[in-house]
Amino acid sequence: MSRGPGMIVRAVAAFDRWVMDPVDPRPLCWFRCWFGVLCLVNVLLLWPDMPMWLGDDGVLPPAAHRPPLPGPSLTVYNACSGMAAIWLIRSLGVTGGLGLALGILPRCAAACTWLAVTSYSWRNPQILHSGDSLFRIAAFFLIFARTDAVLSLPRWLARRLGRQDPAGTIEAPTQVPAWPQRILQLQLCILYLVTGIWKGCGKAWWDGSAVGIVLQMGEFERFPIPDLLATPVMSRLLTWVTLLFELGFPFLVWLPRARLPLLAFGLAFHAGLEWILNVQLFQWTITAFYLLFLEPVPRRSSSAEGERQRPTAAAGTGSVAAAGSAAAKAAPVRASSPTAA
Amino acid sequence: MRSSSSRQPSRRLAPPLPRHWQTILVAGYAFAAFSWSMPARLFPPKALLDGVCGAVLNVFGLWQSWDMFSPDPRREDIRVEVRFANRDGTSHSLMLTAMNAMGYGERLQKERWRKFFNDHLRLDDERSLWQPFAEFMVRALRDEGQDPVSIELVRWWRAAEPRVSPQARPDVRQAPWGSYTFYRWRVPAEFQP
Repeated sequence: MSRGPGMIVRAVAAFDRWVMDPVDPRPLCWFRCWFGVLCLVNVLLLWPDMPMWLGDDGVLPPAAHRPPLPGPSLTVYNACSGMAAIWLIRSLGVTGGLGLALGILPRCAAACTWLAVTSYSWRNPQILHSGDSLFRIAAFFLIFARTDAVLSLPRWLARRLGRQDPAGTIEAPTQVPAWPQRILQLQLCILYLVTGIWKGCGKAWWDGSAVGIVLQMGEFERFPIPDLLATPVMSRLLTWVTLLFELGFPFLVWLPRARLPLLAFGLAFHAGLEWILNVQLFQWTITAFYLLFLEPVPRRSSSAEGERQRPTAAAGTGSVAAAGSAAAKAAPVRASSPTAA
Repeated sequence: MRSSSSRQPSRRLAPPLPRHWQTILVAGYAFAAFSWSMPARLFPPKALLDGVCGAVLNVFGLWQSWDMFSPDPRREDIRVEVRFANRDGTSHSLMLTAMNAMGYGERLQKERWRKFFNDHLRLDDERSLWQPFAEFMVRALRDEGQDPVSIELVRWWRAAEPRVSPQARPDVRQAPWGSYTFYRWRVPAEFQP
């Protein structure tokens, strides 16, 4: 067999292992919890304007409605319309957000959130921003993820009431299927790569004027822009750094040594955008995905308390310590990189 | 008995197929999402892939686009205004998307206003939105005790400065605004919201 096909076989096998090998559930649980809070805030921000955006007497009555894409969609509008649909979206949104944040039936909560966001997205696509796409996509794949291992109110209550581990030890999170986490990680990489490619097609992103133009738009202004940033030199610098970061992230994030510095830079980058740009929850949602790239330090085994579990190479180079880790069963952590797998 | 070396080639010839449906799903979704959001001219298989996967992305609400401020950011600051005249002869105006004149909380909550009015309603390509919005305004104004007999939709714009400077910041900028009334509707007497 020639070398080329052999490499393909090995690459496919490595990808298969990366997708299928079970992983520590904590990053997905952290993501689920914070994502739930953001979903809740999103629904509450939309709440007062829902009759205007989504109602039969709103800006887009049913006769003027155009779905975002032709073809069937799964929305609450298949079952009801008008104020009934609005109240159903509100109920689903609040229930879903709370359920995700608190870890109460998280798969059902994800389904509620997904249905709420998909429904208002279908009813009025003219009010959507990129954050709504992230809400829809993440909620959909969280339906298939097991995310109740930590940061879960029912689990916490069960421990408080002594229904679990009467010895007083904390039950360890067991490993969970990796594929929902992998698909969300890849989604973030696709987002950065594609937005970088789109920007690369524009003249203003090459000549360094793009950020300077955006900074002049009062419609996007959140907080006052420091004078330091409103100069041609800073415009060029910020424009090119944006382009480099967005095109580089999808590749560098898989390198264990580069991961943490890259995520830290990304946080600072989006915090800056949050200061400058009024794009509602987009910066918060996109950085929530960063939690999926953190690799928890393995917990100590309760059966062999006192013995330090040997950290994996990947965890040793790019891990973040999970705060308050307690004695627990062994939960070996695998690399979240196809190359490392 | 066969030697281990004679068995090796047959093991290597295994087809490069993933063993699990989840692997196919992850790879398939990644390709579909990438294709869906890419510019058509840079990704020739887009038409084919989108045709195959588009219906699935649509049904499950997984459609997406990541082209904010690209390929080039818009070079105009935009606002949209509604003017109306009441039956008693008084006239009023509401600036809907003067975002940086709003408080911080209000501009966060009303970001979708900017999206709807500035990115869609003001555009000639979206003229199908004008009449429904005018009718909505009449209903909303009547609920507030007004009696509008005419509605005008006005777009405002000012160009970005050719050279960035602290004086070009939106909160201190003195550039002149242009305006254009893009829709007028005289409310018929028989109009019942």
